[in-house]
Amino acid sequence: MGYAQTTGHRGATTAVLVVGGGGLAVATWLGGEHGLALGLVVFYALAGAAAYLWSGRDSDVGAILRAGGDERQRRLDRAATAHAGLAMGAAAILGGIVSAARHHGDIGQYGVICVVGGVAYVVSLAILRRRS
Amino acid sequence: MKNRVSELRTAAGLSQGELGKALGVSRQTINSIENGRYLPSLPLALAIARNFESSVEDIFIPEGD
Repeated sequence: MGYAQTTGHRGATTAVLVVGGGGLAVATWLGGEHGLALGLVVFYALAGAAAYLWSGRDSDVGAILRAGGDERQRRLDRAATAHAGLAMGAAAILGGIVSAARHHGDIGQYGVICVVGGVAYVVSLAILRRRS
Repeated sequence: MKNRVSELRTAAGLSQGELGKALGVSRQTINSIENGRYLPSLPLALAIARNFESSVEDIFIPEGD
């Protein structure tokens, strides 16, 4: 990976928000919660529009939203992703502990998140070790 | 790590944006390097040195030196 700036795509984050939010809205609609589904459509459409506008700015966040940027901006993105992953992992472990205490040892969906996170970490570490 | 990027850039009559454009990085990254908040990778440090027709060790100086 070079140090130089990559331009990225202005619609990158917007596409994630629209596709992810759209999927969630469709699932919510199919689940019978039509009012909530429409609310989600409005929310993700506004979030997508805000992301698109912000992506056009000459700033660190703008570059990251475009999934582009130079070496420092990509490093910022990776560090923020790592911190978010740690926060999600901690929340999943805590949620699993609380769930186990409340549901006779069943950690529920938190277990799936913990397994996915743990396996992803080990596999990533194995691959990245070989490359460095 | 101290550096002379700001001094050399000013002497060359370049703005942070212009230097960033010449090196292919953002204005914000040039600002962070100049303020010592960001230590560039070796390829970028070499590109900076080459841009000012200088050496990396002449531009980036360890604190103890």
